[in-house]
Amino acid sequence: MNLISGIKLYIDKMCSESGPGMKIILLDKETTSIISMAFSQSDMLQREVYLFERLDSGRSNERLKYLKCIVFIRATKQNIQLLANELRNPKYSAYYIYFTNIIPRTDIKYLAECDESESVREVKELYADYLCVNPNLFSLNLPCCMANLNWLPDALTRSMQGLTAVLLSLKLNPVIRYRAGSQAAQLLAKQIYEQITKESSLFDFRSNIDGAAPPLLLVLDRRDDPVTPLLHQWTYQAMVHELLQINNNRVDLSDRPNVPKDFKELVLSGDQDEFYGNNMYSNYGEIGSTIKQLMEEFQRKANDHKKVESIADMKNFIESYPQFKKMSGTVQKHLCVIGELSGLSNKRNLFEVSELEQEIACKAEHSAQLQRIKKLIADERISIEDSLKLVALYALRYERHANCDTSGLLQIIKSRGGRAAVVPALVEYAGTHVRQGDLFNMVRITDAVKLTRNLIKGLKGVENVFTQHTPLLKETLEDVFKGRELDPQFPAINSELVPFRRPPQEVVVFIIGGATYEEALSVHQLNNAGYRVILGGTTIHNSQSFINEVLAATNGIQFKHTKSMIKYCSTDNI
Amino acid sequence: MSGNPFDSDDDESAGSGEILEGFLCPICRADLKSIDMLTDHFARQHAEEEATLKTIKDIFVKAKKKILNNFEDERVAGGAASSGATAASAASKNGNGDPKGPSNARSRMNVFNHMSKQQPGAECSHFEYFQSVRNPRLERYASETNKLIIRLHRLLKDMPTDSVQRRQHEQQTVAWLDGSSVKLCPSCAKSFHIARRQHHCRLCGGIMCNDCSKFLPLEDAMQLASLSTTRSEPLQQLHQNERAIRLCEHCLWLLDTRRDMHESRTCRPLLMQVYEQIRQLQKEVTPDLDMYLKIINSLNDGDTIFTLADAGALRGKIGQVAEAMDMRSKRILAIFCEPGSREEALKKAIRLGCIKTIKDRMLSLPPLPDEEYIRQMQERRRRETEQRILTEQRMAMEAFERRNQAAKMAGGSAPGPESGSFAQGTDLQSLNNWSAPQAATKVSLDDPLIEQINIIKGYIKQARQDMNFEVVETLELNLRELQREVYERQRQSQGSFPASPSEA
Repeated sequence: MNLISGIKLYIDKMCSESGPGMKIILLDKETTSIISMAFSQSDMLQREVYLFERLDSGRSNERLKYLKCIVFIRATKQNIQLLANELRNPKYSAYYIYFTNIIPRTDIKYLAECDESESVREVKELYADYLCVNPNLFSLNLPCCMANLNWLPDALTRSMQGLTAVLLSLKLNPVIRYRAGSQAAQLLAKQIYEQITKESSLFDFRSNIDGAAPPLLLVLDRRDDPVTPLLHQWTYQAMVHELLQINNNRVDLSDRPNVPKDFKELVLSGDQDEFYGNNMYSNYGEIGSTIKQLMEEFQRKANDHKKVESIADMKNFIESYPQFKKMSGTVQKHLCVIGELSGLSNKRNLFEVSELEQEIACKAEHSAQLQRIKKLIADERISIEDSLKLVALYALRYERHANCDTSGLLQIIKSRGGRAAVVPALVEYAGTHVRQGDLFNMVRITDAVKLTRNLIKGLKGVENVFTQHTPLLKETLEDVFKGRELDPQFPAINSELVPFRRPPQEVVVFIIGGATYEEALSVHQLNNAGYRVILGGTTIHNSQSFINEVLAATNGIQFKHTKSMIKYCSTDNI
Repeated sequence: MSGNPFDSDDDESAGSGEILEGFLCPICRADLKSIDMLTDHFARQHAEEEATLKTIKDIFVKAKKKILNNFEDERVAGGAASSGATAASAASKNGNGDPKGPSNARSRMNVFNHMSKQQPGAECSHFEYFQSVRNPRLERYASETNKLIIRLHRLLKDMPTDSVQRRQHEQQTVAWLDGSSVKLCPSCAKSFHIARRQHHCRLCGGIMCNDCSKFLPLEDAMQLASLSTTRSEPLQQLHQNERAIRLCEHCLWLLDTRRDMHESRTCRPLLMQVYEQIRQLQKEVTPDLDMYLKIINSLNDGDTIFTLADAGALRGKIGQVAEAMDMRSKRILAIFCEPGSREEALKKAIRLGCIKTIKDRMLSLPPLPDEEYIRQMQERRRRETEQRILTEQRMAMEAFERRNQAAKMAGGSAPGPESGSFAQGTDLQSLNNWSAPQAATKVSLDDPLIEQINIIKGYIKQARQDMNFEVVETLELNLRELQREVYERQRQSQGSFPASPSEA
């Protein structure tokens, strides 16, 4: 269950099926990202793929009849039309066509009719229709998937296709469960189920032959846990995404001052960059010391190379040059990133903010926390966005508290010129009226097991104030693997497959409304503990992108649950 | 955060008296969730335990044997003592006994690795359906095009130069449609009149106006009809207008498509040829790269199969190939093409790929080790071997003495050991018993084994010159075996009992 190798195997297959010879690859916008997440350009050069072109770019008519052409595209109407035009006027000697998803027969017929010069040698579906971020994390790059708190139709189709592709590339025919009460989750689960039933021959993996419990696909809704994406993160990958934004494994530093020219755009891929691969889940502090070690080693080597006196020294230098260069590149790159991160954390007083964020998320102490929030958000040193997040967390946590003073806090935000409308939108999006599960550990006294567990947690004390919070997803997955009763919270759509009280061996989780790197960390830990879990989301959120998604999803609807904040709502929602 | 997030919960469930089920490790009772995990866990965690268990067992067995002066043991020991080789083999057997646990574990690990190796995901080919739609259409086109080409051939074969005769010839070859009832041009729907006259396609006889007519140059037509242009000299004298054939759009398209297909199948520009050379070089050098690494490793281990000169020679060869690749990729870059064109990008990419391959695979090879260092390594290895042999011999001697003692104690009542040792000895010699009598005297020059050794030495020399290091390796190993054999026989013929320290 490794998504990156899943994609890699597919791409390898494409390159090898076309045989030896120079090749060009024709892509569309999405497949370009898909391929770039798995392979670098030089990897593709090794596979004799020398040119990359977009099918939809206005391309020259130059013919290179000695090239073979691999076409790797999504099966959209527009792509089919463009490909048909290409086949009518072939520029290359042979075409190997690969679609990322299930394609209707009529489209194949249409293409066949266009291939008048017999240049097509292969037409195949290879289900590489998702972006593999980590070995167990995928995204579909849909920054906004909802409008009026319901699916955007395109986003729904894309999610269905992306998830079926994940299932097919890992050869899973799962039990499908969705979050009860979430319309979006139910709709997506239903569509996937219909697709699986329609293409039952494709999904015939005979995995149940040895009596193992079937895998599980769990469709969740971000609206169950709005807290995780709002919290500031301290693990490397998550922190980079929160402060600098990772986009398709790339970090754009071009607008930062003091960044050397070579590092304007950085590629952070755990697969290609060993240091990053080893450290993307490490804490900020740990990274610092690891970088220091790396630097020392690097300096030692650099010193070694400085005393180039004899010819033998020189030869030595040249011989170890490639590794030397590679290592120096890695060190400088990560040094640059860490430098940016530490600059930003100091500037924005993130330690102070993060500590309070974690307190609000994990402990119920209304009056003390309210005082601290008031103090912090009035402080000019704290950025307005961070203040807004604090208030948002407060509003979510104490929505039903008797002395809830969200309006008072919003007044301060408004006076500082912040986007106060975010908070009511957020409560509308994911307030207590939609949430399920105990996001804030507000346990009923009857649930004895959970009560004791919380008590034990409380007694153990906190190891690190900045990483107290664990996402709701972790608890959900623990329940799944323990074989707890799931039906009330997560009903199954194809219940005939559900085994009797046996936990699944493999789980694919999909979060409508985006996953986060904090959840990716939890999934990574579970995988380390021997469970097989894959996490995916319509996108990977940081706090900013999450707030944007919330605003987009609630845009234009009438707010019913935030009457007390009505004067801060944007005019569209009244 | 702890490695296993369920630690505390597991305790809870155990406390509540839940029955443990699942993939439990039989030794530590941990639940491993899946069979893969369990196998892996067992291999990793309990491999050493297994090994220690085994060694403990071995110790017990040995102790038992010593105490009881076991009959069987005597036999083995006696046999071992009677020949150094048996001693060595017995010792190596004992030596093998211990690592059996770990080696087992390793194989299990391999199985696990193999199982965790991911299979490519599902796929679904539509090519059959694609062909079933495409091919009938193509066949129809193909037969149509063939018809046109036959007509073209006839038309051109002996085309008169005179325009009137030519027209006649054309009409004879292809019947022109009767244009009297056609009032409008079929392709542009404009009416025919004095200024817009009817024209006929020379290949299908169809009607069109001048604007809709296409022209195929005679040279191209000759090529399509596979007639050589030189043969029809008179055509060169034709007037400019007449040096083309009037065609309708459809016929021209069919002919063009045919020409395209032909071209794309036979097209082999210089760039492609040079590129293929590069690929060939790359393919040839790949086994050399692996071999080089192997040689360097074996040198660093102090093995004497390969010499430093071998490694140097191979490195030189790899360097030459790298240079050749570099040169060819530069040549590709030098081929002229339009700036900013796709071809230019292609050439740059090929060059980049070449540089990358050379840098990553060829220049980053580990450097040759020092001669001094190699000598040290070899020295150390030799000493280690000697040490091992000495200990083995000592053990064999001890065993022999014990046997003697036992024989004394048991008096003459134990003829078994004698016969046992005899059997062992003949067993051992059965490999070369056909030559045993001769070997007993002295090793003569015409001994077939010596001859064989000399031949192999010659082969090795030759293989070294050809840089065929795989052959060198196997031959060297053979040679060693032979040399040992000879030595063994020599030693036996001398009848000296304790083996001399080195075996080779």
